[in-house]
Amino acid sequence: MSPTVAAAGLARALAAIAGEAYATEDPARTTSFAIDEVVPRAAVEPGSAAEVAAVLQYAHARKLVVAPAGGFTHQHTGGIPERVDILLRTERLKAVEHYDPGDMMIGVGVGTTVAEVERKIGPHQQILPLETAQPERSTIGGALATATHGPLKHAYGGLRDYCTGVRFVTADGKIAKAGAKVVKNVAGYDLMKLLIGSYGTMAVITGASFKLFPRPPQMRTFVAQFARLAEAMTFRDHVLGSPLTPVCLELVSPHAQAIVAESFHPVSPNSGETRVGPPGETWRVLVRAAGSDRVLARYRAELGAAAAASEMGGDDEAQMWRSVAEFPHTLFERSRNAMLLRVDVALQDVAPMLEAAERAALDNSFLCAATGRIGVGSLLVGFAPIAVDPPSAMQYVNAVSYLRSMTPRDGSAIVLRCPLEAKRYFNVWGSTPNDIGTMKALKRAFDGEDILNRGRFLF
Amino acid sequence: MPRSRISEELREIAGAEAVLDGAEDLMLYEYDAGLSTGTPQWVVFPETTKQVSRIAQLASRMNVPLVPRGAGTGLSGGSIPRAGGIVLVFSRMTKILEIDAANRRAVVQPGVVNADLSAVVARHGLFFAPDPASQKASTIGGNVAENSGGPHTLAHGVTVNHITGLEVVLPDGGVVQMGGKAADSCGYDLTGLFVGTEGTVGIVTAITVKLTKVAEAVETLLAIFHTIDDAANAVASITAGGITPVALEMLDGKTLRCVEEATHAGYPMDSGAVLLIELEGLREAVTEQAEAVRAVCERHNAREMRRAANEQERQLLWKGRKTAFAALGRLAPAYYTQDGVVPRSHIAKVLRYIETVAQKCNLQIGNIFHAGDGNMHPCILFDMRDPDQVKRTHEAGRMILTYCVDCGGTITGEHGVGMEKNELMPLLFSEDDLEVMKWVHDAFNPKSVLNPQKLFPTPRSCRETNVAGGIGGSR
Repeated sequence: MSPTVAAAGLARALAAIAGEAYATEDPARTTSFAIDEVVPRAAVEPGSAAEVAAVLQYAHARKLVVAPAGGFTHQHTGGIPERVDILLRTERLKAVEHYDPGDMMIGVGVGTTVAEVERKIGPHQQILPLETAQPERSTIGGALATATHGPLKHAYGGLRDYCTGVRFVTADGKIAKAGAKVVKNVAGYDLMKLLIGSYGTMAVITGASFKLFPRPPQMRTFVAQFARLAEAMTFRDHVLGSPLTPVCLELVSPHAQAIVAESFHPVSPNSGETRVGPPGETWRVLVRAAGSDRVLARYRAELGAAAAASEMGGDDEAQMWRSVAEFPHTLFERSRNAMLLRVDVALQDVAPMLEAAERAALDNSFLCAATGRIGVGSLLVGFAPIAVDPPSAMQYVNAVSYLRSMTPRDGSAIVLRCPLEAKRYFNVWGSTPNDIGTMKALKRAFDGEDILNRGRFLF
Repeated sequence: MPRSRISEELREIAGAEAVLDGAEDLMLYEYDAGLSTGTPQWVVFPETTKQVSRIAQLASRMNVPLVPRGAGTGLSGGSIPRAGGIVLVFSRMTKILEIDAANRRAVVQPGVVNADLSAVVARHGLFFAPDPASQKASTIGGNVAENSGGPHTLAHGVTVNHITGLEVVLPDGGVVQMGGKAADSCGYDLTGLFVGTEGTVGIVTAITVKLTKVAEAVETLLAIFHTIDDAANAVASITAGGITPVALEMLDGKTLRCVEEATHAGYPMDSGAVLLIELEGLREAVTEQAEAVRAVCERHNAREMRRAANEQERQLLWKGRKTAFAALGRLAPAYYTQDGVVPRSHIAKVLRYIETVAQKCNLQIGNIFHAGDGNMHPCILFDMRDPDQVKRTHEAGRMILTYCVDCGGTITGEHGVGMEKNELMPLLFSEDDLEVMKWVHDAFNPKSVLNPQKLFPTPRSCRETNVAGGIGGSR
């Protein structure tokens, strides 16, 4: 059988499951779904969990490699796929499965975008504290698969903390679920934890339930600036040790400010010095506070001169945080050949990691631009090339390997995105504090044929 | 291998004084705080991870069930050796291995008592947030196994939200690491998956926990209502209104009267229900939230609002709550506490249903529960010497949990499934759901050496032989 005939057969089979309009092998379309330049043989958009199951049963029986895909905002993460037979798009899985504002829970299909969820719950003064970059494109499924997070993680935790239930289809096409639609549940194994951050390698998630939170009626952000990272860290420790309970505690490095400023368009012309950016010499720590005027007055008193001097409120404040959340996207808008790492470490390892990142950048002709949830130890570290000419692959390799040599044993430094040429030279995942043998045993149990995102994960 | 050979090997591994195999000693380990029972053949008290690993190897080699046990305060039979075998007790693994205040972490052995950790780290202004009612006895290893909650999980989350790393001994004796001090890590979230597996996939031997900052201010309010409906509606209004108490507990009238007689906490004897509401945080914020709570309660016809004026009054209000089950226990020889969860807007309806169940089954049922989470705790009073009452109790529990599931809820919010509710799992999960969970089980514990016959419903072919499960065991 020639490859063309096989592909035609594949598209026909997928069309039989999802409908003619929702299966394609037309290169004009599939090319736009290339992952690291690997073009999928066919793409399908199932309209229900049952159709997802049928696609997976078909693929499983034939050992076809399946890559689940949402809004394509995170597909650059992971190893280069050896091949993709079926790109399984979640586009049509958009149902609101349950939402009663009084219960502060929502369940949605994974093809729902983050912005769509926000629009649904916003009128009820509720939030899903996900705050991803590109909310109009990012889907709930993509957010779950990549365990993505934004500045609100400081107060609300990550997806593992507020996703209470999942519906999914296994590699062999079983429709299953775990968890519940209520805020508290310990019945059965917590497969949410297994699926969140598994980058589509364990199962295809079709729906999920989340705890929602009341939107604080008033928020204000205090901006503290420091000449040195060490001073910024001392300030962070002061905030963490104080009675204050900010909703965000975010670091913006000197070079990150220019990137954040790029997408920040203040509404009021005179917000002046209080805005983040233009590119500064300083390390900024943003303390976002929620509460009444009296509560905010207390913040001013506790934060002291360092932060009380400049603060933001109203629409500008909200806009500014949007810009901070957009950092991982804006970095690449500004610098196509940039590299972005997700660094997760204990609190006291934040400063050494940022110093190591600055050093790695300097030695390899990059500028280091970092933002991060410094109150929980989750950082986004960007490397933007200084030269106009694209850097050599070795510059990326050397920067990553230096940073990883400085990463503590239980820390992680995952390359979320870098040029493809560089990706060929290193494992984007790096080391892990989680037992590899156990992870492999779970992968074998869930996807023994290795059809889900083959070759893209850690092992 | 004869029984005595296993005793010998256990003594060789853990020391002669660390193994029990006499009938009278074993009896102490055949129950927990629930109603299920099962007798072990051996009880062993390991002191190191290495010993745990060797014991697991022995159990695997001999195909003898191995059941980890903390303080035995569980309510679902998680630590009961249902199929006999070796019970592994952690009362010699009680060291706090490290307090890392700067990173807000501690590393502890599984036998460390929940409240002891909070007491030790209090000098850093920190505490360990999960607060099961049994926290003065229950161990952190047990909390991890059961993913324990408590009144303050409304704001702080359950155990899994406070665990970042584990050292686990697998049934074959392998020792593996999961996570560490960092909040997230590369790879599958093994730590998150492991918490709440009820001792069915591995034995935890070291735990890295998050420590939480003690709030500056705390305000504890008691809202007294004429009717349960008013109280339940106030709960829904508080949570939906953007107020975020750290605890929001309800006691119904029946429970109140028992509690008051037992503790003299000052609870009113003639009200329909009370809410115990706690707020924590910045002083200014707490004061404002307390005012908001007061307004909501008054809007829902609260008869009276009381405020704890000092720590002593606060402790007294909490004492009533924390000892409520024991107080109810004075009314009957035994009680059986259910643990279903419902969406918060359904609380009033569920309470009315529970009342009809009580009438239909001719039983007394008190309600004292985590209203803010919708985590019901109907406490069914019965006499275990009367087989008919036992049967009716079982039936009442099943009816209530079925109703919780029908309302969109679940069968357990914090007590775990164990051997008490494993046959009820099909209320919530399809065969495929359970099969996928079984994949996880079998990846870790393929021969079911570890804690067998728990969590999953008994396969149909074996069900006949397992009728002793659930409530109304031989105790």
